Amino acid sequence: MNFMNDALFSQLSTLGASVVLFFGIALLWRRSLHSYVAAFKWQSAVLALLFVIVGYFGNDHELYIVAIVLFGLKVLIIPRYLDRLQARIGIEREATPYVNVASSLIIAGLLVLFAYAVTRPVVSLSTLPTRGGLPLAIGLIFVGLFVIITRKKALTQVVGFLVLENGIALLAALGTYGIPLIVELGVFLDVLMGFLVMQVFVYHIQSTFDSIDVDRLNQLRH
Amino acid sequence: MTGYLLELAQVLLALTLAPGLVGLIRWLKARLQNRRGAPPWQPYFELRKLFGKEVVMSNNASWLFRFAPYIVFSSAVAVTFIIPLITATLPFDNVGDLIAVVYLLLLGTFFLALAGLDPGTAFGGMGASREMTVAAIAEPTIALSIFGLALGAGSTNLGRIVMHTLADPAAVINPGHLLGFAALFIVMLAETGRLPIDNPATHLELTMIHEAMILEYSGRYLALIEWAAAIKLFIFFSLLANLFLPWGVATSLTPAALGIALLALVVKLAVLALAVALLETRIAKLRLFRVPELLGLSFVLALLAVTSSFLLR
Repeated sequence: MNFMNDALFSQLSTLGASVVLFFGIALLWRRSLHSYVAAFKWQSAVLALLFVIVGYFGNDHELYIVAIVLFGLKVLIIPRYLDRLQARIGIEREATPYVNVASSLIIAGLLVLFAYAVTRPVVSLSTLPTRGGLPLAIGLIFVGLFVIITRKKALTQVVGFLVLENGIALLAALGTYGIPLIVELGVFLDVLMGFLVMQVFVYHIQSTFDSIDVDRLNQLRH
Repeated sequence: MTGYLLELAQVLLALTLAPGLVGLIRWLKARLQNRRGAPPWQPYFELRKLFGKEVVMSNNASWLFRFAPYIVFSSAVAVTFIIPLITATLPFDNVGDLIAVVYLLLLGTFFLALAGLDPGTAFGGMGASREMTVAAIAEPTIALSIFGLALGAGSTNLGRIVMHTLADPAAVINPGHLLGFAALFIVMLAETGRLPIDNPATHLELTMIHEAMILEYSGRYLALIEWAAAIKLFIFFSLLANLFLPWGVATSLTPAALGIALLALVVKLAVLALAVALLETRIAKLRLFRVPELLGLSFVLALLAVTSSFLLR
């Protein structure tokens, strides 16, 4: 019974991690800022569900609280702030990123392959049922970094940062069945504060340059 | 001997059911759009009409124009010999595997594109170039998406892949399995000319991909090409149904098992037809420059499927 439970836990956690990674890669495919926010919302919802699954199978009831806080913060509060900021700024599509869409999709695939190669020693040494999802979590961190590097609009970079943070939370959930509750709440508070500061910055960039294209920041040199 | 008879019966089944499948999708789309629609067996009448009509050819067309429909049709029929439709153990199993299926499909596409170029019309050239753009990214994705399953089964033989998934039902919620299904579904839409890549019902030449290549064809040539397109759709649906959800496929050659397999195949194809009809009604055609992006996404999904099957064994 325990063995079957383990197999089911392993399948579910790997499936959940794949869906979370899929939403992260979908971020590279869509162009409008509204769809980025939607992808982030769905990703965080699936991540909260994954925390519930890990808490149920790993017999750690603190993770239920973490899942609830994560849901409230990243599915309800932050997307609402992002949508409001986007409404104030005006609709701008990510039309010309530094790397075009088709190439960035292929590079994302290669990044996940790289993540698999990098985490091979960890996966082979670990005995946890969730070890199959570890490469996917590292892959999500890489994809989040990639979004920050190759996108021009400041709001996209903010969403990329939030996706990166999701990747770290996913790694914590799968690798160590979550981190102590106090630390997790501290991380959430940090993310919220960082996000609010970034919001203020994006608003000021918009009012100074009349666009959130970070290429325009070059004008500060002259 | 019964094996070879069964093989022939399977090919004849594919030939007879394929136009009905196309008719079913059209009828479902009509119903979803609140129209009455032609009955699902309308394509059979269309084929009969076309076979009776005279062939009108351009003066600039060469032997390629006359031969291409036969090559396209026979390559599609050849694939139906080696894919598992009703039974997983075929006598032609050792003749072709996954790689042969991909190459036979590409052979048909290649000759169709050449035939589009042959008469020297503008629309034929446009259709051929668009088709090659789509095929260049879609063909490796077909192979990769099924390769993920092949790695798990330890063989690229399609029958053995079906048997492996039947023996291990819990493998269906593997991420490799699901990602492979998603990738093959997107590629199926691209290769058979369905929305969002190509509108099969369009009459505007500027939006055509598949239709533009066959614009010059008439009479029995057009009938063969339309039938081959229907068989290709049937092949992709059967691959999706039998490789990823193989329950119902006969593993023994008893009449009861074969009957259940036939019924299961029809049900699975009908469900897939409904899914495609819903999708086509719901979404609009993608602009042409965004098609490589969608196919790039399906390629990445197939790559992730192979990676997760390979590195999580």
